[in-house]
Amino acid sequence: MATVHRVRGLWTALRYRGREGMWTWLLHRATGLGILLFLIIHVIDTAIVIYWPGLYDHALNLYRNPVFRFAELLIFFSVLFHALNGLRIIVQDFWPGVMRHQRQLGLAAIGAAVILILPVAWIMLAPIFHLRDEPGTARHRARMQARQPSINDYRGPAAPTTTAPPVTEAAP
Amino acid sequence: MSSLVRDPRGGYGRPKKKDQRSNFELYSWFFMRISGLALIFMALYHLTWWNLIVGVEHLDSGLVRERWTNPFWRLFNVGLVSFAMLHGLNGLRYSIEDYVRRPGPRVATKAVLYAIVLASLAWGIFALLTFNPAVPGHRA
Repeated sequence: MATVHRVRGLWTALRYRGREGMWTWLLHRATGLGILLFLIIHVIDTAIVIYWPGLYDHALNLYRNPVFRFAELLIFFSVLFHALNGLRIIVQDFWPGVMRHQRQLGLAAIGAAVILILPVAWIMLAPIFHLRDEPGTARHRARMQARQPSINDYRGPAAPTTTAPPVTEAAP
Repeated sequence: MSSLVRDPRGGYGRPKKKDQRSNFELYSWFFMRISGLALIFMALYHLTWWNLIVGVEHLDSGLVRERWTNPFWRLFNVGLVSFAMLHGLNGLRYSIEDYVRRPGPRVATKAVLYAIVLASLAWGIFALLTFNPAVPGHRA
């Protein structure tokens, strides 16, 4: 019986010309495992909110670093692609006739994910470059005004005001 | 599951030992489709709401408390986290079975990674179901 050499190393894998079928398979697996890793971290750190809300707010402050904004965008893209490609797989499973077009459908899943991520990237990245307000800013301001002040809102001593005192007009 | 199987020579009888196969892979295939379809809507709604409408910059424990005061959103999150974790767990199983071929390491890898995924799922569901905005200890 011939031995099948299953593991041929990374170089063989990269040279393997599976084209669209391989690219979508690889992306589907990579995005799936990436989302799962993120999900575990996300669930653990969100669930601490019930007992340690202060620790939760501390974690959120760490995530305000712009580096995390790019990571969140990557997660968004992963979910988008995984959803669209998963939809393609479901359609092919239940409607085998479209298998004839699986190449085009695979490229369509990648293309649609890339097109849909563009406005998302603008909304999520523009605020860190001060090109646009963070989404939900108006709602956030209204909420902050409506609620009781909290020690959590304290951001250190106020900066000294440099504006000149209002000029009062001399009485005639 | 039916205990009767079609006998190729005619009639129906109890399955012989070697014919007793589990339908687990069929169910897992079906679950991936069903949970996947649900997740397309639930996960993309969740991402759109928090990232594109609320803005994560504005997120804090008070906002989570407001949201979780409504039992509907806690149940929605229980469904979302359950579907997502179990869908991910099964995907992880596919990957482990692809890359870890020897039985011993395969069982060990599965034990460790299943434990991590299932423990975080349990912790998430526990938090969602026991959260009570009226209890001072839960002053989220």
